Amino acid sequence: MKNYADQLFRFLFQAPVETSSYALIWYGLFIFLVAGALLFFAANFAGITSFVERRIAARIQSRIGPNVVGPQGILQWVADGIKLLLKEDLIPDRADRFLFRTAPYFVFSGLFTAFVALPFGFGIVAADLNIGIYYIFAVTSLVVVGIIMGGWSSNSKWAMFGALRSAAQIISYEIPTALSLIPVILLTGSLSTQDIIKSQGGMPWNWNIFHSPFTLACFIIFFISALAEGNRIPFDLPEAESELVSGYNTEYSGFRFLVFPMAEWANLWVIGAMVSLTYLGGWQIPFVSIETLSGSPWLILLSVAVFAGKTSLVVFFIIQIRWTLPRVRVDQMTLVCWTYLAPVCLASIIGTMIWMLVFPWESMAGFVIRVIMSGIGAGAVIFYIMRIRYNYLSGKAAYEKMKGIPLWYPFWRLP
Amino acid sequence: MVPVLEAAVISYINNIYRMFSSITEGMAVTASYLFRRPATIQYPNKLETPLEEQLPDGYRGILQVDTRFCIGCRICESTCPINCITIAVEKDAQTGERFLTAFNIDISKCMYCGLCSENCSTSAIYHTKLFNAVTQDVEDLFIRFVDHPVVLYKLPRESDSKDIPKDFYGAIVKQRMKGQAHE
Amino acid sequence: MLKNQLSHLKPQATPFMEEMILNMGPQHPSTHGVLNFLIITDGEVIHQALPNVGYLHRGIEKLAEQTPYTTFIPFTDRIDYLSAMFANHVYVMAVETLANIEVPERGEYLRVIACELNRIASHLISTGALALDIGASTPFVHWIRERECINDIMEALCGARLTYSYMRVGGVSRDISQNIKDAVLKFLDHFEPIIDEYNRLISFNGIFIKRLANVAIISQVDAVNFGLVGPNLRGSGIEMDIRRAIPYGVYDRFDFKIPIGLGFQGTLGDSYDRYFVRILEMKESCSIVRQALETLPPGDIRTKIKRNLKIRENECYTCVESARGEMGIYLVSDGSDRPYRLKIKTGSFTAMSIVEKISQGLMVADLIALIGSLDVVAPEIDR
Repeated sequence: MKNYADQLFRFLFQAPVETSSYALIWYGLFIFLVAGALLFFAANFAGITSFVERRIAARIQSRIGPNVVGPQGILQWVADGIKLLLKEDLIPDRADRFLFRTAPYFVFSGLFTAFVALPFGFGIVAADLNIGIYYIFAVTSLVVVGIIMGGWSSNSKWAMFGALRSAAQIISYEIPTALSLIPVILLTGSLSTQDIIKSQGGMPWNWNIFHSPFTLACFIIFFISALAEGNRIPFDLPEAESELVSGYNTEYSGFRFLVFPMAEWANLWVIGAMVSLTYLGGWQIPFVSIETLSGSPWLILLSVAVFAGKTSLVVFFIIQIRWTLPRVRVDQMTLVCWTYLAPVCLASIIGTMIWMLVFPWESMAGFVIRVIMSGIGAGAVIFYIMRIRYNYLSGKAAYEKMKGIPLWYPFWRLP
Repeated sequence: MVPVLEAAVISYINNIYRMFSSITEGMAVTASYLFRRPATIQYPNKLETPLEEQLPDGYRGILQVDTRFCIGCRICESTCPINCITIAVEKDAQTGERFLTAFNIDISKCMYCGLCSENCSTSAIYHTKLFNAVTQDVEDLFIRFVDHPVVLYKLPRESDSKDIPKDFYGAIVKQRMKGQAHE
Repeated sequence: MLKNQLSHLKPQATPFMEEMILNMGPQHPSTHGVLNFLIITDGEVIHQALPNVGYLHRGIEKLAEQTPYTTFIPFTDRIDYLSAMFANHVYVMAVETLANIEVPERGEYLRVIACELNRIASHLISTGALALDIGASTPFVHWIRERECINDIMEALCGARLTYSYMRVGGVSRDISQNIKDAVLKFLDHFEPIIDEYNRLISFNGIFIKRLANVAIISQVDAVNFGLVGPNLRGSGIEMDIRRAIPYGVYDRFDFKIPIGLGFQGTLGDSYDRYFVRILEMKESCSIVRQALETLPPGDIRTKIKRNLKIRENECYTCVESARGEMGIYLVSDGSDRPYRLKIKTGSFTAMSIVEKISQGLMVADLIALIGSLDVVAPEIDR
């Protein structure tokens, strides 16, 4: 972002920043501007995702979903937010008032600082840290501190159960999350998010995911453990609403409660962006090299669109998983981590190392294997689509006979 | 030792395979619902026809009494399990004619069991298709069907209760409920 | 205060140093109504779970003593709101047995059709709510959608969606029309493939199996000793069904299997068996409804009885196989027009009694799976 700040300064005041005496103020201003923009983006994304998730869930469940507030109910999230803002901020009797009030800030800051290192397009990243991925892991761990604080200070047994489960979950799943990104770091040789994307390409066979079976396994493990880090079903144990009334946020109300679900939905973007930048080629546009990309502002905008598209696809997938799967038990959650994810991940790291030596990225054999792997990936997608078609057709005739109306009602047609 | 290890490895891989295949099957089912018609209707704002018209004929909604056809036998009053019907019949001392002076139903008590309408020989009391018994005050649901004394209906010789018209959309009870809400 | 309450229930259940009492319910998302469990736990593992019932007691048995025989039928709807038809059925059967009333054949067939449709509706809620307790919300809504179709049929057949009051002493209240027959057949054609789709969605899901299989195993001996009935008993592998063991109505004329637990995905008698027995029973119910519709005889649906039914001094016990197992009524008459005493036996009550034994050593999440798989309905426990 620094070069954008420099360019803007030169454009506005016709002088280089380096020689100006206002450099510090200018950079400070720019930091606030970027932070504000990120916050604006994250908050709005969280809100809109809450609406989109409800609509997708509704269609999966043969319902319509919120469609009253605003056109097609698009302003539902604003209404919900205002309602929660106007509610009384209750603090339970005999709760630890200080910790109870502080906990949402931890959740909030732990999540939103992760946006600093996340790229949005070519060159569009708040801070292209050379330890980018490491930084994101470090700061998102702060969320669990907030959750444990909130759960413990609520002075409620259900909230404490949720907090303790969250602690167990994060401790377990930090390990496969970090380990499953090591193949990417090995392939790239860098922790910077921009460098990781630059090392990949636009087409599927240039993505890290299809480099070898091992990276494919690591991709799946990363996806699963990212779900666990984000407290999403099937790992939403901290707020298992059918077991622990609402888990760690049982006693929260009003805006303090709003922070928790908002962080959860903002976290969807973090998960989606992390998955797409590490394994799915990030903002790389097919058939466009990085040199041509850096020259054209339109292509840079397109790269933003590509990145947002990939992230949204991942987010959609996460939402669909949430409305399909049941929840695992708490011991199964740790068991899955230690008996399946962690060992497979370690084996995959060694496998990737050997694979890199035997079939280097640039070599012909490596290319052929990547194409075959992406073919397998495409086959899996086609199989999935065929299963969707089978499910759709299996109930079609009987439904139409029973109701007398066609079954076809695509999701892009809004009621 | 080796077969045990082999079996363990096979079950390990089999577990992973079963987990992934079953999850894919489930995801395919939910994804197919994105292309299927929602089952819900938009009550009460976006209905094509009023819901009362979509209900089947035998629907047991709010009770309505057509006092013109009441013979004053009081069977409904005695059959009602929770005594929500009260009937008063008075006799004119001079002419000997009998009048129906009160026919009250407490809709807030009624549990829509259908025993009263089933036993009515003239179908003077019957269930409408109205279900939306919402008023400002619970007292408004106490419906008085008789304003002025009504001469009791006399069954014709060859009586056929099916000839007596039924108004399933409950004009009388609607008006009574509304009229009381305004008072 | 809690401790006092607990010691009153069971004196030796005072928690030790590291244990705490977790008060689950009466307001809890997955206790299926107003139930209370006092859980003694040191974290996730339950050391003891004491069910505390009685929050939904309405005194239906006492009400019966003040209501004439024929007008008690609407109250029986309220015994178990998910399967009101069975309570109707068992009550009118009891009165018919005492008063020696013959039911016309067509009436019996209509009773079977209504009961089996109601059994499907009840099992839909039971299996769907179990999936909801495990954390999957979509299967429940899908089942609710299918149940709406049954409710629509029931609405046309009986006039109400939930509190049917369909049965009458001596028969049923309304005849089935050709339209409703077609609607039932169309629904069954639609519904049977949906069961397979539901199985693909949740029953064979790996996580779901892992959550239910080998969890809360009820052995055959325990199942009999604690008086479990219905699908809970059959889930433990005991082939006991009132429809087959003590045939009532015209059930002996239909050809149906009695699904029993076989340890489908784990051990015999685990939560998954109890769940899957219900799924299989829905298929059997579909076939019974089809058979009944095919062989529906013409004729009367109802015997005319005196409006003021009086029964001389006598007593009887009748039972039906309800969706939650054997539902029985013990009826004592004293010559007047209302019962002298009416006692209702329900499946949920006995199912609750086994919770305390089985729940030791389970986790909190498993307890919820256990309650869901036992399919308890709070008003049926307390009446």
